[in-house]
Amino acid sequence: MITRRTFLGTTLTAAIASPAVVTRGLAAEQVRLCTALSLSGPFASAGQPAEAGTRLAVSALAKDYGLDVSLTMIDDEGNPGRAIPKLIVALQQGVRFFSGAVLSNVGLPMSAEVSNGGGVYVSSVGADEITGSACRRSTFRWPVPSYGAMRQTIVPLIDKHPETKRWYTITPKYVFGEAMLREAQNIFKERNIEHVGNSYHSMTETEFSGYLTNAAAAQADVLAILNFGPQSTNTLRQAADFGLKQKMKILLAWSAGTEQYAEIGSDVLEDVYVGAQYDAAIDSPGNRRVVELFRKNLNVTPSYAMVNGYVTAMLLMEGIKAAGSTDPAQVIKALEGRKYEGPTGDEELRAFDHQCIKNYYLLRGKAPTKKKDKDDYVDIISFGKSFPDAQHSDCKMT
Amino acid sequence: MARFKSSAWGLAVAIALVALVLPLMLPSYALATECLIFAMAALGCNLLLGRLGLLSFGQAIFFGAGAYCVGILSLRFGTGIVAGLLAATAVSALLAVAIGWLATQRTGVYLIMLTLALSQMFFFLCYAAPDVTGGDNGLMNIPRPNLAFGGHELLSLASPFAFYVFVATICTVAFYLMARLIASPFGATLEAIRDNEDRAVAIGYDTRLYKVIAFVAAGAVTGLAGGLYALALKFVPLANVDLAMSERIIVMTILGGTNALFGSMLGSIAVVVLSYVLSDIWARWQIILGALLVAVALYLRGGLASLLDKAVARANEGARP
Amino acid sequence: MSVNLLLTQIVNGLGIGMIYFMIAIGLSIIFGIMHFINIAHGAFYLVGAYLCYALVSATGNFWLALALAPLAVGVVAWLAEPGVRRLYDLPASLQILATLGLALVIQEAVILIFDPLGKNVAAPAGLRGAAFFGSFVYPKYRLFVIVFTAAVAAVLWFLLERTRYGAVLRAGTESMQTVELLGIDISRIFSLTFAVGAALTALSGVLAAPIRGVEPFMGVEALSIAFVIVVIGGIGSFTGALAGGLLIGVVQSVMTTFWAAGANIMIYVAMALIILVRPHGLLGRA
Repeated sequence: MITRRTFLGTTLTAAIASPAVVTRGLAAEQVRLCTALSLSGPFASAGQPAEAGTRLAVSALAKDYGLDVSLTMIDDEGNPGRAIPKLIVALQQGVRFFSGAVLSNVGLPMSAEVSNGGGVYVSSVGADEITGSACRRSTFRWPVPSYGAMRQTIVPLIDKHPETKRWYTITPKYVFGEAMLREAQNIFKERNIEHVGNSYHSMTETEFSGYLTNAAAAQADVLAILNFGPQSTNTLRQAADFGLKQKMKILLAWSAGTEQYAEIGSDVLEDVYVGAQYDAAIDSPGNRRVVELFRKNLNVTPSYAMVNGYVTAMLLMEGIKAAGSTDPAQVIKALEGRKYEGPTGDEELRAFDHQCIKNYYLLRGKAPTKKKDKDDYVDIISFGKSFPDAQHSDCKMT
Repeated sequence: MARFKSSAWGLAVAIALVALVLPLMLPSYALATECLIFAMAALGCNLLLGRLGLLSFGQAIFFGAGAYCVGILSLRFGTGIVAGLLAATAVSALLAVAIGWLATQRTGVYLIMLTLALSQMFFFLCYAAPDVTGGDNGLMNIPRPNLAFGGHELLSLASPFAFYVFVATICTVAFYLMARLIASPFGATLEAIRDNEDRAVAIGYDTRLYKVIAFVAAGAVTGLAGGLYALALKFVPLANVDLAMSERIIVMTILGGTNALFGSMLGSIAVVVLSYVLSDIWARWQIILGALLVAVALYLRGGLASLLDKAVARANEGARP
Repeated sequence: MSVNLLLTQIVNGLGIGMIYFMIAIGLSIIFGIMHFINIAHGAFYLVGAYLCYALVSATGNFWLALALAPLAVGVVAWLAEPGVRRLYDLPASLQILATLGLALVIQEAVILIFDPLGKNVAAPAGLRGAAFFGSFVYPKYRLFVIVFTAAVAAVLWFLLERTRYGAVLRAGTESMQTVELLGIDISRIFSLTFAVGAALTALSGVLAAPIRGVEPFMGVEALSIAFVIVVIGGIGSFTGALAGGLLIGVVQSVMTTFWAAGANIMIYVAMALIILVRPHGLLGRA
């Protein structure tokens, strides 16, 4: 029933809203994708390669999918307070297909907002909640959550070096860091590993030498660095300065890929164990295609950030094509349980929590003398798929 | 401009007109809503800087406190929208008593530094209390209750349009009340203190008291803006209380100009719309914003409002025979 | 907490504190003389660090960067000062607006010229790795930074306390009019002060680069710490900046073991208290 008030409201809205002066004008028959990334602000270093990957997916694949796609970039400025207002604007303009976010604290409210606005969101963030406690029917996520990152790095490392009995962890005081720490502790308990200490630090910290001294004092066999991004780079660099590499093995459990390896430098990265979502050296038909596409079009070896941007945008188009419709509900249905050949081999968007089931990798830093080209920083040591099953998942989708 | 300054009704009409025109110019109600909310935040800063010459780097304290207040009340206690916003206003006003009392112990650069220190303190407190503030993740899934009175639902605020009208109404009233305040003898005293504090003291005014009261008024309106922002985003990010937020409010205030309250509306629209439009065009858009700030500081000291002043003056001249 | 750990934290704090001191002393003398709030001060640090990165990548020689980068920033500041001068007479609010804008422009220009990705700067060949003193381990480069900054501080102390320029500077911090009445060309003093302040801050950026790498947002962090130290130590005070820098460095470092978030709260509480109780700073001239 239309009450007089809502009727008045809608007609007024239509009358007022139509002659917009500032628009991002788009034709109606186009499929409108929107990606929120940190293009300015302190996290632009992760946003920029993701942008390149997203744009490549649209320019190279839209035709294959038979779609006319327009892509809008939202610069979240590395700040959820800036991201969400811009996202709300996009939703009000009728955009329904979203990907991206570099930061979890942008991705999480984005998932809520897209859900409220009746859209579909394929997320590229790391936070577990996005396909865990805060999972939503409209949200899918490509990267492996912390559970898999811990299982696929700590366990193979213990298997490879059974003599390492004492582990020390450095963790950011942040939901994501704490999730990694929780899972690490579970593994330590299962495998009879002594957790000799943990240091929490804030997200604004740049000086980690105090924690590193603690780790050395605790006589750890392995230092597991559970922070990420620039902070983990600094931690690792300072660990090398303090001579920790001579004293213990170092695991950087959640790396950001090639851009980060370049920032760290091969001198420091040599012999450091690194956990990763993706590496260009992955031997799979899907990856060979992706690497060639990036080399041909952008003349770069793709990094994780680029491929993450690429795959999340690709999945949106894949869903629209499979649904044969731009109705978000249809697209969600088409993506649910979808299996496809991804860059890490066979990948699947499992139905109950919308998490992509894909490999996570344990890598080891190469000696500077053994690099084959400038982007060749690591060797793949092992890989595999670990995900909490439905009973152990926090996801209760309604 | 002079007419608007002298008449609170004139200002209210001008704000209402802007609120009416804004959605015609912008692609969505969300963007227009943001303009109005930050205009109110800048309004508080404008009172302090324009009437008293006090530059506060602590405005994010009030903005953030208002937002957290609405967020926590509606999330945990299901408080209604009016009660939530009133509480946000009151809590921010109370905080402003403390901040104002401390800050006005000093003047000039020391006052700026003091507000900076208090602002950073508040940020790290919020950061270190995730049980209350949600820490770095912020408070998510904040409901936006409908407007109700005595159990009767008056208006659903779910649609962007309805919420925009709600914010526009509050914004107009806030500007009206602020204009009344500065047109009152109280406002005249503030200006006397700004122009010559020693003289005001000699006449027998308790100037500190006046300054603290101004802080309270500024804190209240900024807190109200923060509360509305929580309802607009349905989310309270930690960024609401960071230094960049204080800077953003200051930039809007000075860019808009502090000779007239209306400047805050212009400053807010300029910053919100510019950052929206430019960031879509060029990832390095902040170069343009930065250059604009330098240019305004050097060549347009009265801010955007002075441009409007000049235009009105020219129009008046042209109208004369 | 072991003795070794405490010792490491303190030495760490001293090293960071000396870098803080150099950032802050630049801000302090510029503010003391020109009474000009420079939000773009962090840009000197940023540009110094990026010049270091560029020079080290191009030549592989850190020592060249250590000499050239501060010099280049100093010369540019010297040349730019007459242009900046028009800001001195503006109200504080417009100074903040203009320098905030300038800081944004410089930061984004750095991203345009390089890119937003952080960069690694290798320590000079002889200073890589750690030095071992029995069970006490410390990175050689950081030891070098402590010794080097101490030497710079000594030279600076001599310059400020024992030379005519220093005397003029100190007098100027109290009253620029007096200095002008003495027949001294204050525009030269302004240019020189701005150049010295900028060069010192750039030097701190060069020294910090091998420790923390370079990234476009490092200037922001330097700025807030510089303000805290200048306020705590006292505006225009050499010993104040030194004591303030070391104090903040050591407190931050030692607190990481107990309560890291608390360190930041404490620092700003201290800053607020000092303004309220001793507005001229711990060691400033009242």
